[in-house]
This record gives sequence, C-alpha cells and structure tokens, in this order.
Amino acid sequence: MDSIPYYLQTLLNGILAGSIYALFAMGLTLIYGVLNFVNFAHGELIMWGAYFLYLAMAEPFALPLWAAVPLALAMTALLGAAMDFAVFRPLRRANRLTLLIAAIGLSFFLRNAAQLFWGAQVRTYGFEIRQGYRWLGMTLTPQQLAIIIIAPVCIFGVYLLFFKSRTGKSMRALADDLDLSRISGIYAQKVILSAWLVSSLLAGVGGILLALDTNLHPEMGVANLIKAFAATLIGGVGNLWGALIGGLIIGLAENVAVLFISPGYKDAVAFVIMVLILLARPYIVVGRRTD
Amino acid sequence: MDLILHLAVIVAIYSIFAISLNIEIGYTGLFNFGHVAFFAIGAYVSALLTLQGVSFSLALVAGIACAGVGGFLIGLPALKLQGDYFGIATLGFAEIVRMFLQNQVEWTKGPMGLPGIPRPEILAWRFDTLPAYLLLCLGAAALTFLVIGFLVLSPFGRVLRAVRDDETAAAILGKNPFAYRMGSFVIGSAFAGLAGVLWAHFITFISPGDFTLTETILVLLIVVLGGKGTLWGPVAGAVVLIFFQESVRFLRLPPEWSGILGPLQQMVFGLLLVILMIFRPEGLIREKGGRTVDRD
Repeated sequence: MDSIPYYLQTLLNGILAGSIYALFAMGLTLIYGVLNFVNFAHGELIMWGAYFLYLAMAEPFALPLWAAVPLALAMTALLGAAMDFAVFRPLRRANRLTLLIAAIGLSFFLRNAAQLFWGAQVRTYGFEIRQGYRWLGMTLTPQQLAIIIIAPVCIFGVYLLFFKSRTGKSMRALADDLDLSRISGIYAQKVILSAWLVSSLLAGVGGILLALDTNLHPEMGVANLIKAFAATLIGGVGNLWGALIGGLIIGLAENVAVLFISPGYKDAVAFVIMVLILLARPYIVVGRRTD
Repeated sequence: MDLILHLAVIVAIYSIFAISLNIEIGYTGLFNFGHVAFFAIGAYVSALLTLQGVSFSLALVAGIACAGVGGFLIGLPALKLQGDYFGIATLGFAEIVRMFLQNQVEWTKGPMGLPGIPRPEILAWRFDTLPAYLLLCLGAAALTFLVIGFLVLSPFGRVLRAVRDDETAAAILGKNPFAYRMGSFVIGSAFAGLAGVLWAHFITFISPGDFTLTETILVLLIVVLGGKGTLWGPVAGAVVLIFFQESVRFLRLPPEWSGILGPLQQMVFGLLLVILMIFRPEGLIREKGGRTVDRD
C-alpha cells in the first residue's frame, strides 16, 4: 500500500473528485453572484440531474446513453428555470430569511420527491464494471476518463460564456449592480434565466459524472451542497475561478485525508476546511456584502 | 386516551425545541439550519450517562450544558458569518454531529442506536407512567416558555431585536452584536438540549437516524408556521403540526403505503414552507410592531 503509485492514485482521485466539486461550486457561485443569495436547493439540482439520466435510461424509455444524457441535462435546466419561476421570482425583493427558508423548503420538497419515486436505496446506472486503464501503476476507469475529459470542457465553456459572450457580460454587470445594469438596458429577466440555466446545467453534468463514478442516492445533494459551499468560500464567494480552485482543493484534501483518518469522516473534511477558513480569513466572506 | 397523552408529550417536547429555535431565528435573526445537532447532543449525552448509571438529574444538567457548550464552540467561528453563510455552517455542523454519532461506534454504538434508556427519576419522584411524564414535559415547557419569554421581553431581548433589525445601529449604541448573538445562540442551543434529553427518555431508544435534517425542517416549519418572533407562535405551530403529522397514523392505511407516505408527508412540509414564505411569511401569529417592510 505504501508506495508511490498509491499516493499518485490518491492524488488522481482527489483531482477527479475536485473537478466535479468545481462544477457544483461554479454553479452555486454563479447564482450567488447574480441574485446575491445562496441557493440551498442547488444540491437537489445535482441529485435530480443524476436521477433524470437514470429515468431516461431505465424502462420504459431505455434510451441509449448518447440520447439520454442531453435529455437529462435539458430536464435539469428546465427544473432550475422552474425553481426560479415558481419560488425565487416571487421572492426577488423579499428579505433574506424569507428567501432562505423558501430555498431550504424547496430543497426538502425535491429530495423527498426523488425518494417518493425511486425510494431511499442506493442505485447505479447498471453499467458493467470494466477493467480500468492502467498507467504508471494508477488505475483509471472509463467513467473516470469521462470526468477528466468532460469537466475541463465544461469549465472552458463557462469561461467562453462568461468572459467572451454578451450574455456573460450582462451577467457580470447584473452581479455588480442590479438597478444600474437595468438602467443601461440589460433585460434582467433574461439574464437571470440564463444564469439559472447555466447553473443547473453545471449541476446536472456534475451530478451525472458523480453518479457514474459512484452511485445515486436521494441524499447526495445535501452532502455535495456543503462541499460546493466550502469550495466557493475558499475561492471567495461570487468568484468563478476561485470556485474552480476551491473545488480542486476540497477534492484533493478529502482524498489525502483518508490516508490518515477513517473514511467514515471523509465528508467532514470539507466542513473542517470551511471552519478553518472562516476562522482564519472571515473577511473574504464579508468582503462584497453591503447589507 | 393514552394516544392523546402521548401526543401531548410530543407537542410539549417540540414546543421546547421550537421556542429554543425561535429565540435564534425569530428574535435574533440567526439562520440556524442545524438546530437538530443540539437536540441530538442533549439526547445522546443524557442517554449515555443514565445508561452508565448516572442519576437523571445529573444527566439532564450535563445534556443541557453540553448542548450549550457545543453552541458556544461552533458559534465562535460561525457567528462571524452573515446570514446565509451561518445557515450553511450550521447545516454542515449538524451533518458532522450525525457522522460522529454514526462512526464513533465504541462510544455511541453507531447506527445500532441506544436502546433501553431509563425513564427519569428525580430525587424520590419517578416519571415512569405516561401522565407523570407528561407532567414533567409540561413543567419543562412552561419553564422554557417563561425563561425565554422573560429574556426576550427584558432589555437583553430588546438588544437582540435591535441586532436583528439593524446591526450597525446597535453597534453604534455600544452593544456588541457578536456577544448578543452568541448569548442568544447558546441559550437556544441549551434549551434544544433540554428538549433532546426529554425526547431520549420518552422514546427510550435513539439512533443517529433520528437526528437528520428532517427534524430541523420540522422544527423550522413549526416556528415559521406559528409565527417567528412571537411568544405563542412556536407553541401554536407545534400543536398544529404535530397533530397533523401524527393524525396520518389514524387513517389506518395499508402497510404497503408506508414507503410512500413518509416522503409524501415530508414533501408536504417542504411545500408548506415555500408557500408560507411566498404568501404569509409572518406565520399564523404576527409579531407586534415587527417590520412589515424589509430593507435588505
């Protein structure tokens, strides 16, 4: 066990997990930037994204993977837009506590809806387990290869959208000042909708990748919400690249920590990092807020 | 009859639990989404101690104290955060507490739980029958109501509301917002611990699965439905919601429905929270002189 390949494998696993967390964190931070609140239901978008793919691939639809994935992603984006339309839009000018309670209520609703349809048991997509590729003593399963390819593509896509397109520019303007950007002719409703679509797509892609590599469970949303949040804290809330780096750090830290502590506490690592950051640099959190 | 007494005990325990959350959420504006953690600490500390043969009175004090100290320790980093961040931090803390209960098998027996928690005995008084236990819980609930009621009506409570409504103004008047938030948080946590102790000795079997986010949502809904920032709100909420939750058992549904019924009921709770927030965020009982327009 105590050999270099073993440590390399740990690092690889950390990067794999980290790039998925980065997708979650970028979506979370995007909504935060535009609408200035933490979407507690973001974890449920992750979970539903994974379950939509399960739905499309199971009987009676039994679609092949190439058809099921776009469908699942479209449904996730639709769910994100529906969440905004039904809950967050009526509360756009409500106070923060009202918004938060509504968000956590929504998250609870969606989680139990998944449990109602699919039960509380752990599921997998049912791909047969194949021999992983071996390289330098490390093993890489086909699913993990998919993560390595897809996650950077998504991140690059976000970069293009956010910094090279007109919509991205409007999003950043909206994040800076809602009223001012409205005055300068930005159609806020449309921009907010695209932020929701991008955020839910990122959650859906991440959720599917995570479920491919591990499994599906109705509780998978909450655990990952906390990790995504810890990642956004590391990078500075509202900062996309910060979220990317933060995700990678959380993924690496979790996997390295398992070398020293019981795997039962793996999910606690993100929380401990979060508390340490809050103790050491509370100002990054307070930074941009004006309330 | 036994059923009604049983319900009344649960209502009393949840009233304590809800009142303790209300001082944080309603009066201080702390978005505590991990309140169940302190309930769990109270329940486990007291259960473990009494199972070791420690007397109930001592275990009760220890359970409350541990919950309060837990609140203090997590409050040190978390209370420096604003609004939603505090919510996530407490949510994460509750998950950690549950993970600890599940993984520290040598102390807590892990997922197997703790069976056979004794019914309480204080000095010569034994509370082993249902009416006696109800009396104990009602006494505790009345005490909680009076203590928290006294606190929020006192100058201390006025500062809490000032910190909630305008932190800067309170700070300018020489009140340290962090210290007052901490006071409110520790008091709330300690009373949640009391509710946990009473719960453990009533149910007599606890396991980590009893202390999930579901409990937090239920108690949050109780406070929000009843009316946050009011004295009677949490009590009203507890009566309405516990009766709603338990009444499902009267329906005598076929057992194969039970797998559907749980999630369905939780969905109703979640939906109720959302609908309340959109249409009547102040709940059944409105806070007197409370803000009608919010400025954030």
